Amino acid sequence: MNKSALLILAALSVAAHGGTIFLPGYPDKILAVDEASRKVVDKIPSEIGIPTSISLSYDRKKIYVTSNDRNGVEIIDIATRQVLDHFILNDGRQQHRIYGVGADPQDKILYTIVRDVTKGTDRYEIGKYKYGVIDLSQKKIVRTVDIPPDEQEGNNPYPGMNPFHVSPDGKYLYQFRDKVTILDTSNFQVIDKIDLAKPDFPDLAAVGIGAPFGTLFEQGAFISLFNAEDSIVHRRLFGIARFDLNSREFQFTEVGPAPAGMMGMQVAPDRKTGYSVVSNGEHGNRRCEFWAFDLTKNQRTMAAEFPCRPRFSFGISSDGKHLYLYGAGFEIEYWNAATLKHEETIDLHNDVTMGGIIVVP
Amino acid sequence: MKHLRAVNQKARRIDDFLTSTREHVVGLQQPPSPPKMRVPLGCTLIFTPGWEVDSAGGAAGLCQPLERDIYDCYVDCYWPAQVPDHLNNATDWTAKCASATKDWRNLDLIFP
Repeated sequence: MNKSALLILAALSVAAHGGTIFLPGYPDKILAVDEASRKVVDKIPSEIGIPTSISLSYDRKKIYVTSNDRNGVEIIDIATRQVLDHFILNDGRQQHRIYGVGADPQDKILYTIVRDVTKGTDRYEIGKYKYGVIDLSQKKIVRTVDIPPDEQEGNNPYPGMNPFHVSPDGKYLYQFRDKVTILDTSNFQVIDKIDLAKPDFPDLAAVGIGAPFGTLFEQGAFISLFNAEDSIVHRRLFGIARFDLNSREFQFTEVGPAPAGMMGMQVAPDRKTGYSVVSNGEHGNRRCEFWAFDLTKNQRTMAAEFPCRPRFSFGISSDGKHLYLYGAGFEIEYWNAATLKHEETIDLHNDVTMGGIIVVP
Repeated sequence: MKHLRAVNQKARRIDDFLTSTREHVVGLQQPPSPPKMRVPLGCTLIFTPGWEVDSAGGAAGLCQPLERDIYDCYVDCYWPAQVPDHLNNATDWTAKCASATKDWRNLDLIFP
């Protein structure tokens, strides 16, 4: 092989370098997809049943997978794609049903919403939702706290949900739902509520959108789209909110009237551009658009309609150059983030669950 | 009360008022959001017969092809299909079928 051929190969290998997409798949595997080659490069076994939720560890080196049939937790090392550990929470006739976890900054415990289900001789006894703490070293739920009646509805979980975001100092738990609710990690008492709501996406909101709702940066800054209501005529507005999870301070910038449906925001690595999916109409009349935002000016910069499937989830590539539509099937659609045009649909040859997506560089 | 008919001015005004309350008034306010469905504990607890309709009674809310819906019916019970109980009785139902659209014939038959 001559020198020029080697240079071309080297250039191609650099150009082909990309991140990895992790997607929970049926019936018992986590699919690893190479972003550059757009191929499934690994299938990591799920030892805990159907993986219904995945989330990134606080140090961003591991993935936590949970299931809600066997109610297990599996820990996967991102670098080696090996299962580091796994355990099942179910105990004989007692199930401890969980729907997702939020890791603490030390990655030693996981915060979750748990519901106890006890199999009796002629029926199942269904408990109420509780806040729960899973100790990863003891491999069990070590603490539960009753959820007050007025908080039960807001904590009704669904597959793929991420129940909590934990502040970097480990003191606060954040829930982004009908209001932003902040709890004390030591006793799960509600410290504060902020009148900003996670935007709804009709038909999908009740079952989870799968994708992360916002972007959490390393220093505990969280950014996403929220709905608010003006105090004069009570019209719903949407805007961009930035939270400092440690100080509990936030900044909300209104952008415009809230559309009928909107997903959360996916932020590019340069943190200057964000994307969301907006829908208007329902069922057969639904029309979907990508919206792009300039986060330095808090303005919408681009919009492009696309033919949306009845159900899908939305994600962004590790380099911010592609948007992903996936879920409810065996495909990932690649969309160019700069032009908002469709590039390619890849076949995973495997259905994926609504457990979300993890994309790492 | 359909056999009653307004015969004087006041009765007609009452009749007009009641009619106006039944009309579809379009204002600036946002439409009320529909009540959210609570996810039940097992698919057999919700009975929406058949694949044919979505939550609005139509087919536009269903995936195309319909097989794309089947696994999410199985796991979160939201979509309208009668499928085995993922949580308690048929946890391995999908074990032989990785892609429901392509190889649904491999799905096991479950008899209650």
